[in-house]
Amino acid sequence: MAAPQTKHDWADDEELDETTAATTTTDLPPPQKIQNKDGTWTIIEYRINDEGQKVKATRRVRYVVRREVVNPRVAERKTWAKFGDAAKDPPGPAPDTTTVGENIIFRPSVNWRKEAKDEANDPNAQAMKDKLRDKKVKCRICNGEHFTARCPYKDTMAPIGEAGAADVAAGMGDEPGAAGPSSVGAAGAGKKGSYVPPALRGGGAAAQGDRMGGKYSDRDDLATLRVTNVSEMAEEQELRDMFERFGRVTRVFLAKDRDTGLAKGFAFISFADRDDAVKACNKMDGFGFRHLILRVEFAKKAA
Amino acid sequence: MRPILLAGHERALTQIRYNPDGDLIFSVSKDQQICVWMAHNGERLGTYRGHQGAIWTIDVDPTSTILASGSADNTIRLWDIKTGKCLKTWDFPTAVKRVEFNEDGTKLLGVTEKRMGHLGTIVVFDVKIDVDAEQTDEKELTIVCEESKATVAGWSYLSKYIIAGHEDGSVSQYDGKTGDLIYNIPIHELNQQITDLQWSQDRTYFITASKDKTARLISAKDLEILKTYTADTPLNSAVITPKKEFVILGGGQAAMDVTTTAARQGKFEARFYHKIFEDEIGRVRGHFGPLNTVAADPTGKGYASGGEDGYVRVHAFDKGYYDFMYEVERERQNRLAAAASA
Repeated sequence: MAAPQTKHDWADDEELDETTAATTTTDLPPPQKIQNKDGTWTIIEYRINDEGQKVKATRRVRYVVRREVVNPRVAERKTWAKFGDAAKDPPGPAPDTTTVGENIIFRPSVNWRKEAKDEANDPNAQAMKDKLRDKKVKCRICNGEHFTARCPYKDTMAPIGEAGAADVAAGMGDEPGAAGPSSVGAAGAGKKGSYVPPALRGGGAAAQGDRMGGKYSDRDDLATLRVTNVSEMAEEQELRDMFERFGRVTRVFLAKDRDTGLAKGFAFISFADRDDAVKACNKMDGFGFRHLILRVEFAKKAA
Repeated sequence: MRPILLAGHERALTQIRYNPDGDLIFSVSKDQQICVWMAHNGERLGTYRGHQGAIWTIDVDPTSTILASGSADNTIRLWDIKTGKCLKTWDFPTAVKRVEFNEDGTKLLGVTEKRMGHLGTIVVFDVKIDVDAEQTDEKELTIVCEESKATVAGWSYLSKYIIAGHEDGSVSQYDGKTGDLIYNIPIHELNQQITDLQWSQDRTYFITASKDKTARLISAKDLEILKTYTADTPLNSAVITPKKEFVILGGGQAAMDVTTTAARQGKFEARFYHKIFEDEIGRVRGHFGPLNTVAADPTGKGYASGGEDGYVRVHAFDKGYYDFMYEVERERQNRLAAAASA
């Protein structure tokens, strides 16, 4: 901060009165260094500016001492000039030769082999498989054991309707426009205490207004799950592996802290098919992952 | 840990060396280039140009002044590390597969290939660690390997012995001054060549890697096998880590078989074994081809691996690595701590 002396400041008076009066303009008061209570320093310096006016500059600085002991030989080598093919490279790593690889988790352990095997056929995956074993594909039109799209009565009969929408885990057709909002509402309201945005309250009817943009524009949103209470140690790939069981996952976003690289505790998973998302939402909510219990719900639209 | 990928080579890596302070990494490959890198950020400091063939080996003197390299163009060259200037060229009738400075940097050994009617030899030169000094043309010593050619060699503690690993899986001990053969002991399986030999910090023992899928820890004095580490793939390199009692092994499916296998089956991972307990304690994946060379940072903070894929990956260990201890080690530490405080 620099203020021309012409605007005389009352704060300067006590120090400056005698000095400015007594000395010529070429004679400047010595710089001052005052330690403040909070550990910072105030440095006051005086100089003459281009117009011959005396200028007082006050700076507040904090000194942080970070001591790094470096071998003098190593320190000397850090100043060496580059040569050979690297001669033209600017200081610092050149991006064409030096890149940073993906994070690798390496924790030595006595029984790492056993752990690796466990990860390969995850016990949870096994449990999930057992659970899904007696689930059968069910047609929404005729309740037969085939996909709705393959139903022989597809053209002649209307879908059974609400029954089908509620029984999402049993499989649904691919008409998000027809069954979309109601089932999202059902899924949202089905969980006690979970927040249901106004747009989705009261099921399909209320949501109709939002859907003016056409069913494709928000299709992505409908198939996106928000996963919260994710372990700090989680990796995107692990989440992908977990959710891939339910269908094709198009996008996994795991929020990470920029500095530490640790997960922030929530993630978004987008499915290619909304039905898979519904399935995953139902099955993975309350799933124990690492040391925490996952909370899975449909991502709410940004306002 | 996030490895730093160094992409300075266009062909397979052949050897990586850290300098003794652990701040420079030297890498050589079959593309006739030597690269030097800053270990802390992966910045390329320079390249050394002059070799006319694949470079098989590299070593740096203890003061990080002079670099020696051996190549398939039948030469050993000395380089000024700081400027990249070639200081000296020694010509040989065949390719040079390994060079190594002794502990104080006054002597340099080179291993030459057996080919075209020439037997494999180990040669020793006197070296002056001075960029401006005139280097001698005369070999101080030549050891001829009549039975099986040497593939790797190194200097023991106090330059007392020259230890050589052979193509037939045996290890020899020669007198460091006279070059007389003292022992030749079959260490690895017969006719499974020894691919690497690297020293402990005090050079009293060393580790050998072999195509027979094992690495062995051997004492320099009497060539006694101290430990054996068994892997499931042919090994190309092995190194003893300072600070922590581990060894790192690198290998993988041979380069010519690689296209027939998936990356998972190729076993292109660096394997960590506990030096004392001989157990495998973890693996680090990353390379797309077999690991040709692994090198440990002398300060114990990381390691670098070079693969057939042409990449050098420099890893800095994180907390889990330093914290890892066997139950017995932990108990012992607690006991010692209790005894110290009592």
